[in-house]
Amino acid sequence: MEFLDVLLQQIINGVSLGAMYALLALGFTMVYGIIELINFAHFNVFMVGSFVALWVFEAMGFSGQSQVLYGLPLIGVLLVGLVVVMLATGFLGAAIERVALRPLRGFPGTAPMITTIGVSYILFNIILLTMGASTLNYANPMPNIRWEIGDATLRLREVLLWVVSFALMLGLHYFVRYTKMGKAMQATAQDQEAARMMGVDVDRVVITAFFLGSALAGAAGMIFGLYYNYTSFIIGYTAGLRAFTAAVLGGIGNIPGAMLGGILIGLIESLGGQYLEVRWTDVIIFSILVLVLVFRPAGLFGRMAPSKS
Amino acid sequence: MSTSPLEQARGFLPIFWERVRSEQWRRGVSLVLIVLACAFPLLDSNEGDLDAAANATAFATLALGLNIVVGFAGLLDLGYAAFFAIGAYTYGVFSSYQVQPEWSGFWEPFQWLGFVARAHSEGVPVDHVHFQVSFWLMLPVSALVAAFFGVVFGAPTLRLKGDYLAIVTLGFGEIVPIVARNTPYLTNGAQGLNGALPPNLLGYSFGVQSLPFYYLGVALVVFLIFVSSRLKESRIGRAWLAIREDEIAAEAMGVNRTKLKLLAFAVGAGFAGMTGTFYVAKLQTATPEMFTFPVSVMLLVMIVLGGMGSVAGVVIGALLLQLLQSWFLQDLTQWVHALGRFTGIGLLEEIDLVQSIELIFGIILVLMMLYRRQGLIPERMAVTALTHAQQTAVPSRGGLKGELKPLHGKVVDPKVPLLEIRGLAKAFGGIQAVKSLDLRVMPGSIVAIIGPNGSGKTTFFNLVTGLTLPDAGSVTLSGESIRGLGPHLIVEKGIARTFQNLRLFPNMTLMENLLVGTHTRTSTGAVGAVLRLPSVRQEEAAARERALEVLSIFGNRLMPRREHLARTLSYANRRRLEIARAIITEPVLLLLDEPTAGMNPTETLELSDQIRGLRDRGVTILLIEHKLNVVNEIAEKVIVLDHGEKIAEGSPAEVHRNEEVLRAYLGRTATAAVRAAAAS
Repeated sequence: MEFLDVLLQQIINGVSLGAMYALLALGFTMVYGIIELINFAHFNVFMVGSFVALWVFEAMGFSGQSQVLYGLPLIGVLLVGLVVVMLATGFLGAAIERVALRPLRGFPGTAPMITTIGVSYILFNIILLTMGASTLNYANPMPNIRWEIGDATLRLREVLLWVVSFALMLGLHYFVRYTKMGKAMQATAQDQEAARMMGVDVDRVVITAFFLGSALAGAAGMIFGLYYNYTSFIIGYTAGLRAFTAAVLGGIGNIPGAMLGGILIGLIESLGGQYLEVRWTDVIIFSILVLVLVFRPAGLFGRMAPSKS
Repeated sequence: MSTSPLEQARGFLPIFWERVRSEQWRRGVSLVLIVLACAFPLLDSNEGDLDAAANATAFATLALGLNIVVGFAGLLDLGYAAFFAIGAYTYGVFSSYQVQPEWSGFWEPFQWLGFVARAHSEGVPVDHVHFQVSFWLMLPVSALVAAFFGVVFGAPTLRLKGDYLAIVTLGFGEIVPIVARNTPYLTNGAQGLNGALPPNLLGYSFGVQSLPFYYLGVALVVFLIFVSSRLKESRIGRAWLAIREDEIAAEAMGVNRTKLKLLAFAVGAGFAGMTGTFYVAKLQTATPEMFTFPVSVMLLVMIVLGGMGSVAGVVIGALLLQLLQSWFLQDLTQWVHALGRFTGIGLLEEIDLVQSIELIFGIILVLMMLYRRQGLIPERMAVTALTHAQQTAVPSRGGLKGELKPLHGKVVDPKVPLLEIRGLAKAFGGIQAVKSLDLRVMPGSIVAIIGPNGSGKTTFFNLVTGLTLPDAGSVTLSGESIRGLGPHLIVEKGIARTFQNLRLFPNMTLMENLLVGTHTRTSTGAVGAVLRLPSVRQEEAAARERALEVLSIFGNRLMPRREHLARTLSYANRRRLEIARAIITEPVLLLLDEPTAGMNPTETLELSDQIRGLRDRGVTILLIEHKLNVVNEIAEKVIVLDHGEKIAEGSPAEVHRNEEVLRAYLGRTATAAVRAAAAS
């Protein structure tokens, strides 16, 4: 393959991964923007999402990649999967907030963050103990349609992934920008106290942020399964850390930044895997995380949510 | 009974007795526990149990190390296992045949020292080096190597806020095992490094028996408990706690937070490095999987369960979790299986609770955070309440008139301005908070700064004390420039401050709050704190004496409460404590930011008196104050700020007549009315 073809192929892969990371990063960024909390539970909400989608597809009679659909039926099945998963993980996220985090609201220090680590561990181990440690083959109704561009290949699943991610991000963007709840979110992120004074129900804003962020994580989980054709209890950790790096890269609290950061991390992963050694990919990504945090804590695209001092 | 509170405190000292008793009690309990730990192998000679107990000691030492970083200094480190790995591989490399360089003359001195052996094998033309450095030497060396990496990994995280710190340390915790996996030359990669030598004591090799390792582990735990407790109750430990409670206040009290945070990382990592060596010597192997994220989380669970910051707590936490893992869950599984057989429920027969240990960890974390954040054995025990007599005692004003000792040891030239500001400016975005400000404060005076809200008064204080860097201008103290110095250095130079919205260390006692204030005037380091040599004891005793003396300025307001936590104080007492904490840093210039806010008229008068008393003892005072009667009464000079500019300066009477001032405070119309009233 020509250099350019390889590059193109890796860009296709990178953007696909990046779209997934971006969806996941949005959850981190929204929650951090509003209550300044790194939500470690988010890692495994994503993982649970990929399992829920698997169960949905299996319930609809799919198993493995043998049965494929085309046209409207395919879109219908994917939509059903997406809606169910997003609702399931959305409610999971909201429940986590309500049960484990709301009682700790306003406590200084690390207590809420430690709680999210605990919740993350619980989710991780429930799936491990009930679904087993082995990798599961994913039920995937997508046909293997591909287009050749030079020596590079663009597959249908990549196109679908881009479309779904883009649509969700656009939806979120409009939600935050133009709805009443979205504006309440922005206000709460700026100054919780002032927002409360102006009649914003901060508890509702926070739980909505958890719901939306977790729903997007669920969507990302489903996309993970469809893209890689497998899922496992362990996928949350690496993907979560990369998505978190993406959120930091884009300026944590900054929603468009998280999307760009996600794409950037996806590209770094695919190009780094191509031109450097795969086994060092994680080291590269973590080094980026550390460097950005140390030298540009506001992220590459600036505008951190104003810190509440 | 006309004893001063100071004498009362020195007199019958009920709290002191309590202390002695608890100290004795603590020693007694520790001794019993050590004896029990030593007798354990006699009571239970099962090799498996003993092995589990030896492993438990390793985790207890790790928990103690993590406690220094997380519990004392409040730095949430989620990658602590990295230092465990570094210690483990350091010993592994220097005590195994993993790395075998070719033999050359370079190695001869090391051979003579017994660190390496010359290995010759038949048919191979060159000889190789076999490392065999003694375990006993490597124990401190690994600690040092890990401590070095603690500083290296800690340095970039210093500027980060708490939650980012967690994620960066998580990243480092992830990188270290990856590097170990990817550098097989040193570590033998994923297969693991094998053949590390067991320790050898006076010709007796520990081999693979559990018994000697158990005793060694117990010795390590005892040693590290000793180090932790000594550190905690020292100048260093108090500075760590202060950073945990409020970083900015700690810095403003003279604590060099960069240095102390790095020290916490280094000491914590050192503990882990030592444990890594112990662990590898025991297992005689090291694989990257032994040091991944779950290990760090397990350690976190231990200290959360036992009680962050509590030395006894974290050891108990570590032991409890090991008990749970090695004995209790196994037994419980047997019982559940039996129950399953008895009831015929298949699921119960197959369940393996040992597998669900991590699930239990998660549940412990969540439950502890929700219902018992202080852990099973809290760092702070409840303090006896004040007696009725103490609570209802008539406030006394303290005996400072009697003993006019200077509060600082500096000689100040009365003719040179103590504080001189020229052209000071600071803008936040588009807002010019302070605009080309000139100001002089002569030694021995009380100067008040007044001005409407938002006129830049607090920003001015922040600029002088180094919390904010000025955009332009100069700040000199007795002719020496202090612009651009860090807050802790400015404290050392002799400027101390209080904060408008109170920044005490809420979970430390009054005494400890004050002792943090002595940080710059004392010098005990980490080693000194552990050894507690006579000079250190002396310094500590002097600091405590000094603290009592400063407390006595406020009569019996604070004195009886000195072992209480600062967060239990009333608002006015918190203000007093903040002033006391600033005074104990031995300032020549004291900046008070609204010292009488929240005080009733009587208390305000009392404080005004005390402020004058401070000036009489050689401390120059610069205060921001909204209560104009206080200003009129105590200030010799008043400076009025508005929109970051000085609009008037002079005696209180002069300033009252100044039109600019009237306009700033009252507006144009009101000023005209006042003038009209004055004319008629």
